[in-house]
This record gives sequence, C-alpha cells and structure tokens, in this order.
Amino acid sequence: MDHARSPPRRRETRESPVGSSTDELAAASDHEERERRRTSWSASKNFTPRRKSREDRHLSESDSPDELAGDADEYWRSSRNSRSSHNHRRSPSPIDRPAGQSSPDSLSEDRLSTGDDENNDTPIRDDMSERSSTPIPLVAEPPAKPERLNYHEKFILQGHLRGVSAVQFSPDCSMIASGGADAAIKVWDTLTGRLIYTFEGHLAGISTLAWSPDGQWIASGSDDKTIRFWNVNTGRAHTKPFVGHHNYVYQIAFAPKGNILVSGSYDEAVFLWDVRRARVMRSLPAHSDPVAGIDVVHDGTLIVSCALDGLVRVWDTHSGQCLRTLVYEDNPPATCVKFSPNGKYVLAWTLDGCIRMWNYVESRVVKTFQGHVNKKYSISGCFGMYGAPDVRYSPPLCFAVSGSEDGAILCWDIVSKNILQRLEGHTDVVLCVHSGVINGKRLLVSSGLDKTIRVWEELPENEEALRDISDDTSGHGSLPNGVTPSGDADGDNMMTDAPPDPSATSTPAEDVMMT
Amino acid sequence: MNLSLIDPFILAQDYPDTFTEKLRSGHAACLKFNHTGDYLASGRVDGTVVIFDIETNGVARKLQGHTRQIQSISWSRCGRYLLTSSQDWKCILWDLDDGSRLRTVRFEAPVYIAELHPFNHLLFVASLFEDQPVLVDVTNKKPIKRILPSAPLRPPTEETDPALLAKQAAQDAKHSTCVTIFTAFGNHIIGGTSKGWINIIETETCNTIHSMRLCNGVVILLRLASNGRDLLVNSSDRVIRTVIMPDLSQLGINLDTASIKLHVEHKFQDVVNRLSWNHVTFSSTGEFVTATTYMNPDIYVWERSHGSLVKILEGPREELGVVEWHPGRPMVIACGLESGCIYTWSIISPQKWSALAPDFGEVEENVEYVEREDEFDVHPAEQVHQRRLDLEDEEPDAVTVDRVKEIDVDHDAFPVPVLLDIEDSESGEDIVAVGPGTMRRRTPAGGTQAEPEDIRANGSRGSGRNRRR
Repeated sequence: MDHARSPPRRRETRESPVGSSTDELAAASDHEERERRRTSWSASKNFTPRRKSREDRHLSESDSPDELAGDADEYWRSSRNSRSSHNHRRSPSPIDRPAGQSSPDSLSEDRLSTGDDENNDTPIRDDMSERSSTPIPLVAEPPAKPERLNYHEKFILQGHLRGVSAVQFSPDCSMIASGGADAAIKVWDTLTGRLIYTFEGHLAGISTLAWSPDGQWIASGSDDKTIRFWNVNTGRAHTKPFVGHHNYVYQIAFAPKGNILVSGSYDEAVFLWDVRRARVMRSLPAHSDPVAGIDVVHDGTLIVSCALDGLVRVWDTHSGQCLRTLVYEDNPPATCVKFSPNGKYVLAWTLDGCIRMWNYVESRVVKTFQGHVNKKYSISGCFGMYGAPDVRYSPPLCFAVSGSEDGAILCWDIVSKNILQRLEGHTDVVLCVHSGVINGKRLLVSSGLDKTIRVWEELPENEEALRDISDDTSGHGSLPNGVTPSGDADGDNMMTDAPPDPSATSTPAEDVMMT
Repeated sequence: MNLSLIDPFILAQDYPDTFTEKLRSGHAACLKFNHTGDYLASGRVDGTVVIFDIETNGVARKLQGHTRQIQSISWSRCGRYLLTSSQDWKCILWDLDDGSRLRTVRFEAPVYIAELHPFNHLLFVASLFEDQPVLVDVTNKKPIKRILPSAPLRPPTEETDPALLAKQAAQDAKHSTCVTIFTAFGNHIIGGTSKGWINIIETETCNTIHSMRLCNGVVILLRLASNGRDLLVNSSDRVIRTVIMPDLSQLGINLDTASIKLHVEHKFQDVVNRLSWNHVTFSSTGEFVTATTYMNPDIYVWERSHGSLVKILEGPREELGVVEWHPGRPMVIACGLESGCIYTWSIISPQKWSALAPDFGEVEENVEYVEREDEFDVHPAEQVHQRRLDLEDEEPDAVTVDRVKEIDVDHDAFPVPVLLDIEDSESGEDIVAVGPGTMRRRTPAGGTQAEPEDIRANGSRGSGRNRRR
C-alpha cells in the first residue's frame, strides 16, 4: 500500500477522499500524516540554509526519496488536501499556519473537504485519525538536521615558537592547554584568550598532552621519552617524571577516574601507568611499529591503540589482553584513534587520507570520511555534537572533526558523511582539533604547524535564519532546490566577513604574549 | 563496554581458581570492598586505614586516627564515607574526599563490629566487647547512642512467680550481642548473641520483634547477601549456616511479627577434620559461600544450590583471616594473619591469538572451505572502493550510552581523588627494607624509590613482625 504511494499517484488522491473506501483512508492515514508532518517541517525549518534532499531521506527513512526533490509546495497542497480531514482536530502549529495560508485555494479546499469528512465518518477511521492527530509537540518529531555548522573564528592564540602539535580543552572547558615542538606547554583562558601559564621543563618537543579528569593536572608526552605532570592550580610541575619509554612518547590518554594514564610510544609499546606512583603498572606488547594513537573508553574498561603498521587494537584494561584487531586491507599507517562518546565506535585516522569509523565489535568499517589531506602528519581530531540544544534528535547529531594538511578543518556528519563545514584560517597543516562546550556555547580549538592556536565558536544562525524566513514568506515554493545556492553563498560570505571580529578579539592574547 | 568482546566462557566462570596477586601496605587485619568494587579498604594492626585502588593495585589514600588494630570497616552506599571501628574504643567516620574525620565516637569498650546504615551514612550500629550493642546517630557532632536489647524475646506469660522471673532475668543478663548488622533497607537490625540466638530488632523503636535460637555456640559473624534475604552465620560450633529470611519490608503489610520465621538452608562444616572457620563471606551474587579456616591456609568455596564444596583455594602458606569477595568480579581476597599481606585469587583468561590476527578465526574442528561465487572476481579498484563507500548507509548512534546494568548500580560510585603526592601523606613509621636484613625508617625525600617495596613486597612469612621492630 505504501509502496504504491508515489508522488504522481498522490495527486490523484486529491479527488479520492469521497470515493475511496474508508478503510483505505484509515490505512493510509498514518503514512500520510507522517508525510504531511515532514513537509510541514521542511516548510517551517526551511530557513536552514543548504538543504540537501539526501539528508531528509536519511532522517525519515522514507521509501520514496524523490518526493522532496519535487515541487514541495504542490506536494504540500496535495497532501494537505487528501489529509485535511484531520486538520481541524489537530492543534495547528504556529509555523505551518502561514505556510498553509500562502495558497488561498488550499484553504478553501480545506474547508470543503472537512465537510466531506463529516459524512463518511466511521468509528474505525475516527479511531485512527484520533491517534495520529493527538496534539504533537514540536519536539516530538525530530526536526530537520542542520545542513551545516556555523563555527566562526573567535581567537588566534599566538605564543608558541614552533608548530603546535597538541591542544585540548580542560574537562570544564574553562582552559585550553597546548603543547608543541618548542617543548613548552601553554595554558590559555577559553573565554578571554589570555595566556595563564607557560610550563617549561621538557627537553624536546611535545607531541601529546592530556588533562586529568579532575582538571587539576596536565600530562604531557614528549620526544625526550618522558611524561610530565603540571599542576594547573599551583602552576608547578610534578616532582616525578614518568620515565620508562625507550623512545618518543607519541600519544597519551587518561582513564576516566584519572588513576591510570595510558601512553603509546615510538618504542612500539603501550604502557599503563599508575598515576599515583608514577610507575608503569602494565606494559602491553602492542605493536610492531611505533604506536601513534591511544584512547580510553568512557567507562575505562577498554583501550584502543593504533600504530604505523596499520593495526588498530582494542585492549581490555583490566586483564591487559588484546580483544580485537582492526585492519583495513591496504594497511595504511594509522596515526590516531578516538572512541566515540558512547564508546561503540572507534575513529581511526590513516595516512591514505581517510578517517574510518569502525564498529569494533563486528570488526567492520561503518563510515569513511574523506575530503581532507592526510599523507604525512599524525593529525588528530575528535567527535562533537551539533543541532539545537533543546531538541532531541534520534540519533543525536554528532560530527567528526579533523584537521587537514592544507590548513583546513573539516567537520563531517557521522550519518551522511557530508562535510558540514570547512573551516579555513590556518596557514599550514592543522595537527590537532578538539571540541568543547562552555556556557552552552560549542567551541572548537585547533592548532597547527603555523604556530597558532585558533578557537572557533559556533554562532546561532539567528540572523541568517531571520533573513531566510523573510525570504520564505514571500515564496517558499522553490524551497528544496532554490535555497541551497543562496544559503551556500550566504555562509561563505559570513566566513569572509569573520576576520574583523577575531582580529579585534585576539588582541588580548597578543597583549599577553608581549608581557 | 568490554563485555561484548570478552569470551563468554570466561564470563560464565563465576568463582576464582588462581592465586594472582599480593598486595601489601603494613599488616592488614581487616578488609572491605566498596559497593562497586573499585576500592578496597584495609584496616591495619597499627590502626591505619589504607584505601587500595583495585584497578592499579596502588594505595589511593591512607587514613590515620586509630591507635589500635582496626576491627571492622563499613562503606557508605555512595562510597564517599567510611566507618571504621577499632580496639582503641573508637569508631571514626571518614570523608574520603579529603581524608578528614567527619565524626569520632568513643565507647566504654573495644568495638567488635560497626556497620553503617545502608542508606544513611550518619547512623550506625556497633557491637561492643562485653557491653550492650548500640545504635548511634551521628547527625550532630554529639552522637546519640541508643542501647539495643540483647536478651531474646520471650513470649508474654502470665508468670508472676518472682523466683522464676528473677531466674529469667539472670539468664537474659548472660546474653551479650557479638555482632549486629542492618537489614537491606535498614529498617531492622539483626543481632547475634553469645548464646547462639538471632534477634531481629526494629531500628526505629529498638525493640526486639523476633528471636530464634540457631545454635549452641557463640555467633561470631553475620553477613547478608546482596539480595538482602540470605543470611550467613558463622558460629563457634564450627558450622556455617545459611539462613533464609522473610521479606521484612513486608512487615505490617502481609507479614506480622508473629509469623516471622527464619529457615536454615544449608549447614557447611568439615565433619572429618572438624575445622573451625575464621571468617566467612557470600559471593557477589550469593551463589557461593567462602570461608577461611582456622590453623589452615586454605579457602573453602561452597555453592549454595546443592550445598557442595566446589573449590579449595590455595596459595600462601599461612593462616588466613578476613576473606572478602569482589562485588562485581569472580575475585576473592584474604589477608594473612601472620604477615598481614593481602592475597587475591581470580581468573586468568588466556590471550586469544585470533584477537591479534584479524584474518584468522579459532575453530573447534576442521571446517570445509567453500569458495564464494564471486570470491576471486576481479573488479576495478575504484569500483570496489566506491561500492564499499556506498554500502556505508547505516545510521550509527555514537553518543547514546546503553544503560545495561545487571547489578543495581543506582548510584555512581564516588571516585577517591587521585593524589599524586601520596607518599607525603604516609606516616613516618613506615619501615622500608634497604637491603637484606637492614631496615630503615622512611624519610620523606628518600622514600621515592623504596615505595614499591612497601606496597607489593615479596616479603616472606614472618617478616612483617621484624619490619616493625
């Protein structure tokens, strides 16, 4: 039944409500209600720029993908007509009212068919319509996903003398720690961009750093083979360096309780450190090539490591045993791994210019993200959340973000694999990106070989949205196809508009640097 | 998160079989896991309480306040507070957030066992040496002690003969309570007396509502299983009993005090050797009963469905005292009476080699290889690549965390802060071995390298005494 309902046929149903049997109506009503709601949503949310029909298909799992590509207004009207029987029952949402009014004839037909409706009212159909027409709060139906992110450069933090290889938000996001080839660790204030501390003590460049979960300590791994701890409250270094690796420390990560630190090194080993005693607790005979990436899952039971031999291994923290090995067939060197926020997937960066999201339980690549340049450097990134904060999306909207060797930062939607935003600003390779939230504002911080750290802030799309809505009321008939280019151009303009703003705000950081 | 990857056969094994680990910090006398099993509190002979981190086997905190041997330890449900009782006539309630003493309660006698109320960390029961047990409310700085009855409940009689009444009173006076514990919801207290009686006392009124004679010997230890209905009783008649209790939360609804009945399920004993038992515990699920034996280095593990002995754990060559079962894992710990070391038994799972080589699988028997129809078809590389990319059409949810918890973890365990300067908080009394036969007092600066020896010494029998000079 649902299959038969392709768009052209639905146009025929405009005449059918009277003639068709009530049973058929009842069966169709659920499906059509969904359709109608979706169009009302796309009509109401059409201010989100750069809409692609593909997204919607993913979201609503509809079986006829071409409906949205068609003329939405006509579709809206037709489906509304066939479905109008339920409209008088349903509490109209404030947004789809003007949409309906945009075509006066649909309104009149609306009234007409309502009269029709009363005639062939049967208990069964009534029942069905009652169910589908229960007042639906706006949040219940997942609204359309935003098609792009709206991050804008907020600060440029300058102070490092050489490339900045690692940057990370503190757990409460109030501070940013960065470390680089100049062997210095700098701690910055997220809100003002001021430099708080500079920690010096490593004898060689720093490739990685990690905040302890309580936000008190920064651990840094260096090419001098040691890991050092720095206290952010006192500004002092921990007296005991973590000595044990035979070669460069490549990446480190804390277990969620902060009692264990996991480190991967150029000496091909993964060490689990007892943080309290500054001693190696366990050594994992991990790989046969330098270990480049390390991460710990949110509950601390699993560790993932990857190495330049192209293997990604998942370890049991408690027993120290390898539970899974993931390998992509061409064995491209793997340079970074990250668990997803819920720990079900592993994101792995490889030097073939791909980021793969693995379902490690089934040893299967779920998604491949492409579009960035990654041939030479260990680029790291992370996951981030997007979408309106007060809306529950299903699944929750999540993006993967990574730097690129051409100086860009790319954000991919993890479901559609589409690039949500491409942030330009760095003038050289972007080595590290990290996401965070402070005061309800979503932030990204990035660092690269151009010696700078950049803070990006997600701006609400209000001003653009308002502009778009005013456009829409005039004629949203050209909605799905028409908006895309204009929204695109809009977004790009905004990007080029941005520089005066960061340059003004970044002055404090430069001030600090001078002192 | 790791459960989906671990061999189900390993997960199915529910009791430990191998001696695995040895922990040491001073001479441990009593042990207790917190409710999630992340930390182990160990009370030492010298009165220090040491919190071990089970994940790292390292010391997370040291608490100093008692001057004599620690008798019992009780964790609050949240894991932040710890009640210790000691032979120095004191109970101390500790706040593990900063290691401070929240309350100190003094008694007129050494304290046997003190236990916190399961939901209120400011209320506890304590059984005292040759004294009446007390219910202590420490909501305010000044503790409120209420004395609990030890005498068994007598059926109301019309007896008026003063001689008989005097005799009864004299008999009642001979009862002293050796152990008191709370029931699962804390509405009742179960007491065990020196005459082998079990008393159920209402927490609110401090009245005995039920009494039952269980055995002839002294009740040494009472423990409740995690389900709150199974009671484990160790008594001096060399028999361990499991007792099934009625659901006391139904009291007043469809259970009245007259119909309370305690039913003995199993009696575990060694009939041949007439062994007596030092300390007993349930397993985390209550399926197993474990006991350490007097004058014997073995740990006995019985299963409860048939009441049969399933395992005798061996390892160290010394008599073991307190035995505890990890609340989440098949892991048993016990402390040696002589050396004060903490020994652990658990399961060692072999590394699956197929986990290291993704292209291989482990098969039980030969499998006939069947070639797929298109297995060796040659396609252009980019076509294969594109097809693979097109197949990635699912909708992964990388954010939502599955809340599958089989155990009732309705609370997030309090994480004991990670102190990087843990040595600084150690007492100056720690003695470290600097060479064969030579000991010296630890100095704050020089003790760094010697630290591991303190905690995981491979000290042989008897060395514990020598070390303390």
